[in-house]
Amino acid sequence: MRMLFAIIVCRLLRFAGKLVGKGSSLPGKYALKICPDVLGRVKLPDCIIAVTGSNGKTSTVEMIAAILRRSGRTVVYNEEGSNQIEGVTTLILCNSTLSGRMKGDVLLLESDERYARRSFRWFHPTHFVITNLYRDQLTRNGHPEWVYRSILPAVHPETTLVLNADDPLVSCFARDHEKVRWFGLDRCSISSPEHRGVYHDGARCPVCQGRMEYEWYHYEHIGRYRCADCGHHRHEADFAVTALDLEGGTLTIGGETEISLAFRSIYNVYNILAAWSVCSLAGVDRETMASVINNYILKNGRMVQFTLGAHRGVLLTSKHENSVAYDTNLDYIARTKDPCQVLVIVDAISRKYFTGETSWLWDIDFDRLNCPQVKKVLLCGKYVNDLAMRFDYTGLPAEKVVCYDTVPQAANALAEDGGDEALYVVTCFSDRDKLLNLVKKEAD
Amino acid sequence: MELTIVHLYPDSMSLYGEYANVAVLRRHLETMGVEVTVRNYTCEDTLDFSDADFIYMGAGTENRQKAVLTAAAPCADALRAAAEKEAVILFTGNAMETLGASVTDVSGRVWPGFALAEFTTEETERRTPGDVVAVPALWDTPAVGFMNKCSLTRGVTSPLFRELPLGFGNEAEHGAEGYVSGNVFGTHLTGPVLVKNPDFLDVMIRRLFARKGWEIPETLPVLPHGREAYAVTLRELQGRIK
Repeated sequence: MRMLFAIIVCRLLRFAGKLVGKGSSLPGKYALKICPDVLGRVKLPDCIIAVTGSNGKTSTVEMIAAILRRSGRTVVYNEEGSNQIEGVTTLILCNSTLSGRMKGDVLLLESDERYARRSFRWFHPTHFVITNLYRDQLTRNGHPEWVYRSILPAVHPETTLVLNADDPLVSCFARDHEKVRWFGLDRCSISSPEHRGVYHDGARCPVCQGRMEYEWYHYEHIGRYRCADCGHHRHEADFAVTALDLEGGTLTIGGETEISLAFRSIYNVYNILAAWSVCSLAGVDRETMASVINNYILKNGRMVQFTLGAHRGVLLTSKHENSVAYDTNLDYIARTKDPCQVLVIVDAISRKYFTGETSWLWDIDFDRLNCPQVKKVLLCGKYVNDLAMRFDYTGLPAEKVVCYDTVPQAANALAEDGGDEALYVVTCFSDRDKLLNLVKKEAD
Repeated sequence: MELTIVHLYPDSMSLYGEYANVAVLRRHLETMGVEVTVRNYTCEDTLDFSDADFIYMGAGTENRQKAVLTAAAPCADALRAAAEKEAVILFTGNAMETLGASVTDVSGRVWPGFALAEFTTEETERRTPGDVVAVPALWDTPAVGFMNKCSLTRGVTSPLFRELPLGFGNEAEHGAEGYVSGNVFGTHLTGPVLVKNPDFLDVMIRRLFARKGWEIPETLPVLPHGREAYAVTLRELQGRIK
């Protein structure tokens, strides 16, 4: 009876919330008050897929949903990204019958890495994809090992873990867990025996703190590793990208399926592979998966094209407090060939909470912009001085770096500089609209 | 003028941006005409402090800190000897805890510290990451920064910061923070502390010049953007206190 009441209240609140434009966590919050164990009572579908990790959750989940839907399955997932227990409750109850059976073939969840254990106290995923663990929002998350320890209690023995074999910390989830499938990149065009980056989070073994040896790196600390002391090592991938041409925009999965990349970023490669792996485990055939992810353009809009003056601009949404996200976008710029300018904006560090913390700027490898096609780097926003100081410790010639206090000042300068080079803008969700409101966006 | 910086375990004790403390100190010293040598150590190395003028260690994860406590234990005597010879020592983040008598982890295991000070630290299940404004004991302007700790440090009699208008001190919210005695400095402030706090950096430079017996210039070099960045962060953080 309480479950029925919780479902009705949840749906009514959700309906009312949508009318006034409220978020999706409140209805679930009240439902949980009425019936705290409601998630344990609802009959869920046979296939429950969860995705967590520092980067790539939203994109991976979006592609999984697209593939599963093309295969004819009905998918319920948290498209709005409310990934804590309240949002998950809203999602499940609003898609359940009054008798407490969730409609749909698959429940697909983007799961917050720190709160997964709260959701999965009442049910557990059949498949749990863990993409990566990086330095990310340390103001909330502490550090990657701390996040690892937060996720650990959410892992149920019956769950099949779908793990990134190339991430030494993610690989630790396989310790004492039977059901594990691995995805990873073979040695390919981007692999290097040398580590690239300001810091090296793979230098020490996450299990025993011994010295790690890498055969190759794909990027940052992601690659083929082995601990010289305890033997913690990269496992062979069950699902592998066997060839990759980032410049040409193609990758090959399992030696036979070639996929074209709509966005030529290493992230996109891993997200595609993660989606491929779990959909494959869910029984989707290769042709269907390939037809969906070939040239797949993400809807979540992290790359936006626009014009500013005579500049054709591309906004590469990064995440503040996440140096790997920045580095990946800087790499994207470094791989371009034509002359360009780069605008970096750090104005509000987070859109969700206040912090004045700028240490993460020192973790970003801005030296990647020290290449001939980058003609000028413009820095702006409230923290422009912190940015400028960081750039003083790169190899970029000082005359290439220009500072502006505000986003409009930088946008003005670009609009009126008479140049028509490409423009790349690197910033976070919290700051990107400050620029996008001043430019002419290209139609979707 | 020559000076040696020893950076302890940058491969292990690097939560975010700690290396910048060494970089900014080096840049300022070089601007003043000092020839600086930086020596990095990893856990496999035997530590040599015989010529060390400045010894730095940054923050790490709880596991990494324990690995370092184990690796450096045989060299604790040498570190104490360096302190007695008035080398300037700065340990930030949970590296500060290693200066004390012990660190007790959440399982109750007690890890001996390097014992340059008598205080003890107890790790907690709760983590208190957050912005910090601190009132220094040794200079006039507030210090700013960030803390990312899960511990309580007890028994500090000479804190580096008298109180924290914003942030969690050694034992309590807003309480005294860090440790200073002679040339030994510890604080739980994390990341590029010396970049964010030009006056703290100047204290380090003055102490180094004094140790070397060099004449301390009346004004120390001010490199671009540092003071401006500090002013913005201080303004933002003080806005939070109100």
